[in-house]
Amino acid sequence: MPQRSARTDRTGPTRRAVIGGIAGTGAALLSGCGSAGTRKTLRWWSPQASPDQVAGYRRQIARFEAAHPGIRVRFEPTSDEGYPAQLAAAFASGQVPNIVTHLPSFAAQGYYARGLLEPMDDVVRAIGPDRYYPHANDVYRTADGKLCAVAFGNTAVDMLWMRRDLMARAGISEPPRTWDQLRAACRAMQRDGTYGAPLPFGSNSMTSLIFVGFVHRAGGQVFAPDLSVGLDAEPTYAALDFYRSMREFCPPGATGFGWAESLNAFTSGATATGIYGGRVLGNVARQNPKLSGQLVCATYPTRAGGAAWTFNDFPSVLIPRGAPHLAETKMFAAGLFDPAGYVPTLLSAPGHILPPLKPIAESKTFLSDPVIAANRPAVELMATSAANGRNLGFESEKHRPNPRAGEVIASNVLARMVQQVVLENVNPRTAVGEAAVHLDRLMKA
Amino acid sequence: MSRRLPDAAVGPLLVVPAVLLLGGVVAWPLASALWLSLHSLYTPTLEGPWVGLGNYAAVAGDGAFWHALARTLVWTAGSLSLQLLLGVGFALLLHREMRMRGLARGLVLFPYFVSTVVAVLVWRWLLNDLYGLVNQLLLASGLRDTPVDFLGVMPNAMLSAVAIGAWKFFPFVTIAVLARLQTIPDQLYDAARLDGAGAWDRFRDVTLPELGQVLGIVVLLRAIWDFKEFDLVFLLTGGGPVDSTRTLPLLVYQQAFGLNQMGLAAAHAVAMMLVMLVFAGLWSLAMRVRA
Repeated sequence: MPQRSARTDRTGPTRRAVIGGIAGTGAALLSGCGSAGTRKTLRWWSPQASPDQVAGYRRQIARFEAAHPGIRVRFEPTSDEGYPAQLAAAFASGQVPNIVTHLPSFAAQGYYARGLLEPMDDVVRAIGPDRYYPHANDVYRTADGKLCAVAFGNTAVDMLWMRRDLMARAGISEPPRTWDQLRAACRAMQRDGTYGAPLPFGSNSMTSLIFVGFVHRAGGQVFAPDLSVGLDAEPTYAALDFYRSMREFCPPGATGFGWAESLNAFTSGATATGIYGGRVLGNVARQNPKLSGQLVCATYPTRAGGAAWTFNDFPSVLIPRGAPHLAETKMFAAGLFDPAGYVPTLLSAPGHILPPLKPIAESKTFLSDPVIAANRPAVELMATSAANGRNLGFESEKHRPNPRAGEVIASNVLARMVQQVVLENVNPRTAVGEAAVHLDRLMKA
Repeated sequence: MSRRLPDAAVGPLLVVPAVLLLGGVVAWPLASALWLSLHSLYTPTLEGPWVGLGNYAAVAGDGAFWHALARTLVWTAGSLSLQLLLGVGFALLLHREMRMRGLARGLVLFPYFVSTVVAVLVWRWLLNDLYGLVNQLLLASGLRDTPVDFLGVMPNAMLSAVAIGAWKFFPFVTIAVLARLQTIPDQLYDAARLDGAGAWDRFRDVTLPELGQVLGIVVLLRAIWDFKEFDLVFLLTGGGPVDSTRTLPLLVYQQAFGLNQMGLAAAHAVAMMLVMLVFAGLWSLAMRVRA
């Protein structure tokens, strides 16, 4: 067996040379990292992350990065169901994103009340307060008089969508205004494998958020203006009774419906009516264009004699406290409203996120979009409804902002109550009583 | 002048890395969970007052924990039983001489390899009431007039979760049992045949006793993993309808990230660990007694 000679060892690289080489490579890599490290990275989260919307964000990012070569922006999608957990973990670990868009106003109020957000007043100043519609940012005003977020858009989340062809076939001339009319319309239109409505009965945020609207359309409220629990009242029982009566018009799988399933049920033609925001317009145009000319949009019916109530989640822009590069982040936040990038992003889901900035809403670029132009009455109705809209964090003019609304929704207490009554035939008094106790405990936790 | 460590110190020193590693990955997280469970903490800030055993009293007094425990036991027992049935069945099948046995052995592992998220998405799609293949087949065959709601009502939701869980995890049982089957001496079967034992007798009197030890380990491991299974159940049903499939891990998640009560969630998690320890201890004891 040949032995390696000392001579052979000497012709190879010496140990010192190898160590020197490694050190040199490391130093070179580190110096490379250093030059890359001088570029500041901003992380942007949003639960609104359909492929077209993300493409819009990337164009906005590209414009911003071109104008600010020292800054890099990384978009990271989250979801309506997932953001509370992801943000909680991010805050707890200190790894918060720099900017979060499209979160509902009540989430912003909740985080701000815990000292987790930066005030956004100077961002509004940079955008231009006069460009906003009056009161557009009131929903973000906090107890200390500052803004916990700024309006990125408005969404009329729970509009009633119908189809002219099915209405005509059923002999319905105009959209129903009351629950009785809606029930009758669904009964008339439900045939040939098409269900009446895609109301959600799932154990999720959509069921809770949508049901809050029904409580209000029955004349009730979940919390009183002083934020004591106001659920255990006659309107809640009326809303539950109506909601339960609608079960026969909804697909069997509505017991698991979330936003996507409910939307898809209508746009695919599986249900005769829909309950959703303006995303219906874009999705129908893209995925089922034969329905495009058939769409009718109305505010969701109310109990007889009730007042209309539209759920607007008030999609926001907020900046978590503790993220690095605050000045650059605020610059980026204000830059998001630059019409050159903002309008195409809005139009990536036409009619879904409606501009809270007057010059944008009235701009030719926005209004000449084919989907917007073809559905002007629907878009205008959604804009008006959203402007007067409310949500659980801001149930009426008289209500204080509810900083626990996000936790109420995430707890699924309301969805659970609906499921108990509709799916398990639990006595409504028992279900509402339990829910009220849970809510009270949550508010005091 | 070099100093030499005394021999008595070398042993403990060599153990130090292992102790540090175990301390870092086992003791520290466990101690952290215990510490968190003694506070009332708001998750995003991890700040809050010391409440001592208050969270544990809340856990014991709250029906949600016990209901979730019952559901966890149903899920674990149901899924594990099916996994054993399928796993042993497939292992016996794949142990036989047959064509393309290698390919079949590879394919049977597929559910175990596929990501849970993908598996759940596929199953949700298959079971969808409006577009799902399963319901389309049921309607087309005339077995049903209306689609079946597999995931939104009870007992369908739990049965579906159990069945999909069994489909996802039975290959683990198959691998373990198949490996053991290949080491059972043929002479045992030959002797049984000479004694007039039929196929069922050979399975009961030779195969099963030989598999006893490996099945014991498999049951222990799979029971622990199923007991703390989160993603499959969460993605499939979200804990619904109402709370019918809200197992303990889902309850912990909801406490920690839905309600932002990290202290209470940690107490739930510690209680869950204690339950697992008790079961694992009893099982080990039973195995030892049987041995």
